Amino acid sequence: MVSSSKNHVPGEVGIWVLILGDMVVFGLFFLVFVYYRGFDIELYTQSQKALNQNYGAFNTLLLLASSWFVVMAVESARADHGRRAAKYFGLALLCGSGFSVVKVVEYSEKLAAGLTITSNEFFMYYYIFTGLHFLHVVIGMGVLIFLIVKTRAHTFSRQDMVAVESGASFWHLVDLLWIVLFPLLYLMK
Amino acid sequence: MNTKSQLFCAWCGVGFVVLFTLGWWIIASYVPPMSPTLTSTEVAAFYQQNTNAIRFGLMLTMISAALTAPWVAVIAVQLKRIEGEFPVLTYTQLVAGAVGIVVLLLPPLIWTTVAFRPDRDPELMLLMNDFGWLLFIMTFSPAFIQNLVIALAIFSDQGAVPVFPRWLAYFNIWVAILFIPGGLITFFKVGPFAWNGLLAFWLPLIIFFAWFLVMFLALLKTIKAQSHTAQTA
Repeated sequence: MVSSSKNHVPGEVGIWVLILGDMVVFGLFFLVFVYYRGFDIELYTQSQKALNQNYGAFNTLLLLASSWFVVMAVESARADHGRRAAKYFGLALLCGSGFSVVKVVEYSEKLAAGLTITSNEFFMYYYIFTGLHFLHVVIGMGVLIFLIVKTRAHTFSRQDMVAVESGASFWHLVDLLWIVLFPLLYLMK
Repeated sequence: MNTKSQLFCAWCGVGFVVLFTLGWWIIASYVPPMSPTLTSTEVAAFYQQNTNAIRFGLMLTMISAALTAPWVAVIAVQLKRIEGEFPVLTYTQLVAGAVGIVVLLLPPLIWTTVAFRPDRDPELMLLMNDFGWLLFIMTFSPAFIQNLVIALAIFSDQGAVPVFPRWLAYFNIWVAILFIPGGLITFFKVGPFAWNGLLAFWLPLIIFFAWFLVMFLALLKTIKAQSHTAQTA
């Protein structure tokens, strides 16, 4: 089913139930955070200083790069270059792995410094929001591996574009959520 | 074709929602949930003031739990149509759903134990009250797995006429993710992730009801389509 590019919804329509649904939930998370922050701005800004902005910024770059690789992968797949698409998906997967390593290092540093999920309200949100996002990253990496296998296959054809676009859309969601999460937790003054 | 039996089982899901809401929410008044910060005296007062309403409401809640048995079974039967001869996901759904009945059945029983002797030592009432709430909200993992295998089964549908629409699979994944905050109530007594919080209680509760509604409509549709196909074939 190839529709005109103007009205084309990427991937299968169903994936957008999950993507938009997830965006609504994270949107709610962010509202809750901003609302409770309003009661004790001092605590939030003080706690925020314990976060390492370099880790956060580096991870932002990694995810932005990964999204670009995914765009290139989709372009390649559209042009029927399955193997090239697989390479780009592989690079995106590498970025995702880098993100995970940084995240684990960051968590262990915080825990070693005695900052846990129950330390205060700020760290409650920090661990839960980044934790749930991290879960999305892990799922997304599973999706990328699936897409690598699919696009590498000799049988790959434009018929498989629906799966490629669905998976790519999900990875963009992973990136998008972080783009909001990063300023909210690490930067907001 | 046992269309009528299947429809009956699907309607049991609706029956559960109605009876559960009536018993647990309206009569026993566990909603809005009491705060985890209540002292033992305050918890004791809750059980001393509405003792018989709590007893009766919890009795209805426990009856409602059993109505999810036919509900889980009719979902299994429809999933089996997809899976055919080796229905592993169907069985997983059935087992996880059966555990779900226990999760709906035991907390009301534990709270009933508190309401059984409202003149008991308040510290013991506090303990049992906590036990009921933790068992009720923290045990999200069977429901989580149940939703995921429903999604996986729908994705695996290769039939010319799919049993369920694919968006229902994505919806189930979304629901599964939303149950996760329930597991966090062990850490908090105040805020959105406490057992009376927005993200650990209200959101999963609303989603829980929405899941029944959406699955019910999808079941009705596919049962009727199955019946129609059987008649014309």
